[in-house]
Amino acid sequence: MTQTIIWTIAILVILGVVLAVVLYVVAEKFKVEEDPRIDDVEKVLPGANCGGCGQAGCRAFAQFCVESEDMDKCFCPVGGNDVMQKVAAVLGREVAAKEPMVAVVRCNGTCENRPKINEYGGYQSCRVKAALYSGDTGCSFGCLGCGDCVQACQFGAISMDEQTGLPVVDEEKCTACGACVKACPKNVIELRNKGRRNMRVYVSCVNKDKGAAARKACKAACIGCSKCAKVCPFEAITVENNLAYIDFTKCKLCKKCVAECPTGAIHAVNFPVVKPKADAPAPAKPVPVAKTEAPAVISTGGEAVVEKSVKKEE
Amino acid sequence: MDKLIVSPSPHLHTKTSTKSLMRDVVIALLPAVVVSVLFYGWNELLVLGVSVASCVLLEFLITKYLLKGACTIGDWSAVITGILLALNLPATTPWWVVFIGAVVAIGVAKMTFGGLGQNLFNPAIAGRVFLLISFPTYMTDWTKPAGFVGNALADGYSGATPLGLVKEGGIDAVAGLDYSDMLFYNIGGSAGELSAIALLAGFAYLLARKVIRPYITCSIIATVAVFSGIFWAIDPATYTDPVFNILTGGLLLGSIFMATDYVTSPMSNWGGVVYGIGIGVITMLIRYFGAYPEGVSFAILIMNSVVPLINKVFHAKKYGR
Amino acid sequence: MLKTFSIGGIHPSDKKISKDCKIEVLPVPSKVYISVAQHLGAPATPIVKAGDKVLAGQVIAEPAGFISAYVHSSVSGTVKSVGPRKDLAGNNVIHIEIDVEGDDWAEGIDLSDDIVTEIPEDNKAILEKIKLNGVVGLGGATFPTHVKLCPPPGKKADCLILNGAECEPYLTSDNRIMLERSKEIVVGAAIMKQVLGGCPAVIGIEENKPEAIKAMSEAVAELKKTAKGYDGISVMPLKKKYPQGGEKQLIDAVMKRQVKSMGLPIDVGAVVQNVATSLAVYEAVQKNMPLVTNVLTVTGDCLPMEKQHNYKFRIGMPLSYIAEYAGGVPQEAAKIISGGPMMGKAIANMDATTVKGSSSLLYLTAEQTVRGVESACIRCGKCSEACPMGLEPFLLQKYARNGMMEELEENAIQDCIECGCCLYSCPANIPLLDIIRIAKGDVIKIIRTRK
Repeated sequence: MTQTIIWTIAILVILGVVLAVVLYVVAEKFKVEEDPRIDDVEKVLPGANCGGCGQAGCRAFAQFCVESEDMDKCFCPVGGNDVMQKVAAVLGREVAAKEPMVAVVRCNGTCENRPKINEYGGYQSCRVKAALYSGDTGCSFGCLGCGDCVQACQFGAISMDEQTGLPVVDEEKCTACGACVKACPKNVIELRNKGRRNMRVYVSCVNKDKGAAARKACKAACIGCSKCAKVCPFEAITVENNLAYIDFTKCKLCKKCVAECPTGAIHAVNFPVVKPKADAPAPAKPVPVAKTEAPAVISTGGEAVVEKSVKKEE
Repeated sequence: MDKLIVSPSPHLHTKTSTKSLMRDVVIALLPAVVVSVLFYGWNELLVLGVSVASCVLLEFLITKYLLKGACTIGDWSAVITGILLALNLPATTPWWVVFIGAVVAIGVAKMTFGGLGQNLFNPAIAGRVFLLISFPTYMTDWTKPAGFVGNALADGYSGATPLGLVKEGGIDAVAGLDYSDMLFYNIGGSAGELSAIALLAGFAYLLARKVIRPYITCSIIATVAVFSGIFWAIDPATYTDPVFNILTGGLLLGSIFMATDYVTSPMSNWGGVVYGIGIGVITMLIRYFGAYPEGVSFAILIMNSVVPLINKVFHAKKYGR
Repeated sequence: MLKTFSIGGIHPSDKKISKDCKIEVLPVPSKVYISVAQHLGAPATPIVKAGDKVLAGQVIAEPAGFISAYVHSSVSGTVKSVGPRKDLAGNNVIHIEIDVEGDDWAEGIDLSDDIVTEIPEDNKAILEKIKLNGVVGLGGATFPTHVKLCPPPGKKADCLILNGAECEPYLTSDNRIMLERSKEIVVGAAIMKQVLGGCPAVIGIEENKPEAIKAMSEAVAELKKTAKGYDGISVMPLKKKYPQGGEKQLIDAVMKRQVKSMGLPIDVGAVVQNVATSLAVYEAVQKNMPLVTNVLTVTGDCLPMEKQHNYKFRIGMPLSYIAEYAGGVPQEAAKIISGGPMMGKAIANMDATTVKGSSSLLYLTAEQTVRGVESACIRCGKCSEACPMGLEPFLLQKYARNGMMEELEENAIQDCIECGCCLYSCPANIPLLDIIRIAKGDVIKIIRTRK
C-alpha cells in the first residue's frame, strides 16, 4: 500500500519535472520577440475590437500605433481623444486632438416624404436589395431601410424608426467607428463632426437626380437649386450632380441655408429652440424626429453662432 | 394589386414546406400507430395521447414563456417527437413516466439547444434513453394489455421482447418464433416494434413523397444484415440470424424514422451511409455483447454526436472538381 | 435514355402556355428609348446627339472596350435626347430617345424573307459582320458573340452546342423561333461552326418541345441535302430538368465534360450559343441585319389564352407599351418578370424599354410568387440535393451571414451559377440565393485581387 503511494508520487514528480523542462525549452526556443509597449498600449484601449480604426482589432491597433511613426494616422474612434492621449503618453509622443465625430444619416425619405411605388419581397438586407434594384421608392439614391447599419453597429447606437422607416443615430452611444458607413450600400451615412454643443447643419439627402425627378420621388429631396450655396457666407456649400453638400469644416452654423432651402432638405439639429418672432418664416424646417434632445436643454440662449471652431485637417 | 412585388430570383417556390414535410412523417407513422392501438388498446392510446399532448404543450410553453419567441408548434415537429416517444415505450408505461420522457425530449434535448434545427440529439430517443436508465422496471415491463382486436401473441412470448428473451435465455428461447410473427404483430415489445409491415409501409410513403433519402435506412439495415450474418455463419447456435435482427427490436422504427431525422443526421449521401454503418455496428455490438438486449437507441444517440464530424468530412460531389 | 446533366437539378412547373402562339410583329410606337447598356461589359458610347436623323439599323452607339457591343437604332426618325433614364431595375442608364418617323432602313440591309443558305468563306469578314451588327448572346448573359467565337490562342473548340433547352417554365420564344425560323437557325449554326474551325454542332432541345425537335431535325436534314457546309450538325433531345440551359450543365449533358471551377467552356472545348443568338448571327451575316429585334413572350397563368403572345419586338420599346398592346396588365399580377421565373428579373419600372436580351413579360400571381416566412433550417439537405453545381447552400448561407470568406471559398461559393434551385427547394423559405449571391460577389472580388 505504502509502496503504491510512493511510486505514484515519484512518477508524478518525475513527470512534472520532465514536462516542465520540455515546456521551458520550447518556450525559450520559440519565443517571439514582441515590443512590450504593445501590451501597454493595448491596456489603455477600450477593447471593443470593433475595427473602427481600420485595424483587425485592439491588439492590431496597438501594434500599429507602436510601429507607425505618425500618430496622426492612428485614431481610435471609440476611445476618442482621451484614449489617444493615454496612448501617446505610453509611447512618449505628442498627439493632436481630433474633433469628435458622429454618424449622420443623410436621408429624410420618410414613408410620407417618399411614398413606396413597389413592394420589396426579398431578404431584408440593404446589400441584397441594392444589388437587385433601386429600391421600393422612386428615389434610387436614398436609404433602403433594411437596417444593415443597425446590424453593423456594435454599440447599439442605431435603430430603425418604425414610423419613418429610417435609421436613427443615438448620439450618446455613437462612437463614430464608421461601421455603419461601410455597411450602407447607398453611402447614405456620413461621419461628420459633432459640432459645437452638438449643433450641426447638413444636407439630409443624397439624391443626384435632376431637381424635378428628385422632387417627384421625394418631397424632402435636395433639388440642386444652389440657393443654399449662394446664401452661404463661408463658401461651405458646394453643389455637384444636382446635390448640395455642406463642408462641415467650413460651416459656421449660421443656418442661413436652412431658411433658404425650398424642400427642407437642409437640417439643423440640436439648436436651441428659438422663440418664434412675428415675422420669422416659422422655422418649421424639419428638425428630424427622435434626435437626442439633450443639447437643446444645455444651451439656453440664442448666442452668436459664429465662433472659431476647431478645424479638422483633411 | 396596386403595388408590384420586386424580389431577387427565383420567383417560383416549391410547395413543400417544413410543415408539409413533418406532416408527411406523421402520416407515415400512422400505420404503426393504428396497429399498436389495435393490439394494445386503451393503454397504448393513453401513452400516445399523453406523449403527444405533453410534447406539444411543453414546446408551446417553452417558446412562449421561456424563449419569448415565435411559437413553433405549428410545424408539427413536436407531434412527431411525441408519437416516436410513445412508440418507443411499453404500452403499460404510467402517464407520469411518459410525461417525464416528454420533458426530457422537448425541454432538454430539443429546446435547450435552440429548438428545431439546432438540436444535436434526436429528442425522442434522448427521452426514451433517459427513461430507460431512470425507470428500468417500467421500461422493461412488456406485459401485454388487452387490445381492441385479437390476442394473437405467440404462446409464451408475452411479457418479453424477442431480443430480451435471447439476452436471458440464449437463442433457444426464441426457437418457436417464426418470421411471419415478427413481420406482422405477433411479438411482444413496444408499440413501434410490433409490426414490421406497418413501418415498412411508412418507409415506402416517405420515399414516394421524397421526404427522406433511402441511404441512411438502407445502410443501417445492410450493416446489421452483414454484421449479424457473419456471426451467424460462424456460430448459428449462439448468434441470432440476420432476418431476426432486422425484424425485431426497434431497428426498423429507428432506421426509418429516427436515424433519418433531418436535424440529427448527416447532410450528404455518403455521410449518411457512414452514419448508417456506425449505427448498424453499434446496435449489433450492444445486442450481441452488451448488457442491454436492444441497442438501436444508444447507437443512434452515439452516432448523433458524430454527425458534425461526418458533415465536415463528407461533402456533396461538386461539379468540375 | 435521354441525356441530361449529372448533378442536382429540379423540376419546377412544366408550363409553356404560349407555346402554340405564332410570332406576331409588334407595330412601332411613336417613340423609342434605346439603352446603351444592352450587353455584358462596358456600356457603349453614344455617337449621335439630339436633332440627328437616324435610319433603322444605323449605328447609334459604339463599343467602349473589348467586351462591349455596337448598338443600332431600331427605328428611323430624329434623336430627341441622349441622357439618363431608369432601366427596369430603376437605375439610371444612358438612353437614346428617338422620335419615330416612317420606317426607313439603312442601306445594305436585306429585308426580304429569302433564306440564304450559302455560307461566305472568309471567317474574318464573318466575325467582323457579327461584331458590327452588335450581336450578343441572347440566352440571358448578353455576352458579345464575336468575343465568344474567337477562342483564346492555344484553345480549340471541339463542339459547338446550340442551346435550345429553354428550361425555364413559361418562356416560349426559343420554341417559337425553332419552329418558325428553323432553317435560319441551322444556317447560323453552320456559320458559327465554320468560324470555330469546323467542329461538330449539336442542337440541344428539351423533350417537352417535340415540335421544335422535329422542325429542327427536318431543317438540318434538308440543308444537308441541298447545300454545302452543313455536315456535322445534329439535334439532341434532352431530358427535361432545370437548369439544363445553364452553360455548364448543357456541356455536361451533351459532352459529358465538366468545366473546372472559375474556368471557361472553351477550356473543355465547348462553345455554347443560344438558338436565338444563332438566328441573330444568321441575320447579321447573311442579311447584314443588325440585332435590333428579338422575340419575347407575354404570358402568365392569370392571362386568358387569347392574351398569350409571342411578339417580335424592336429594341427600345417601352415595356408598358407592349403590355398595353397585349391587352393590359392583368389585375391578378403581383409581379412582372422580364425573363424566366427562375432567373429572370422582377420589373420595378414598367416604363423601362426592351433590350436585345429581353425574352418575356411574365405575369405571376401573389399566390405563385410571394415567399413564405423564413423559419429555422431543418438541415433537410434539399438545397444541396437540388444544386446543379454540387454546392451546399445551407452551409454557404451560414458562412455568408457570418462573413467567413475563407470557408466560403473552400466550399466553392464562386462556382454558384445563381440558378435559384436552392431557394426554390428550401422548405423553410430561407433566402439562400439572396445571401449567397452577394457573398459570391465578395469572394470573386477577393480571388481577383489576389491574382
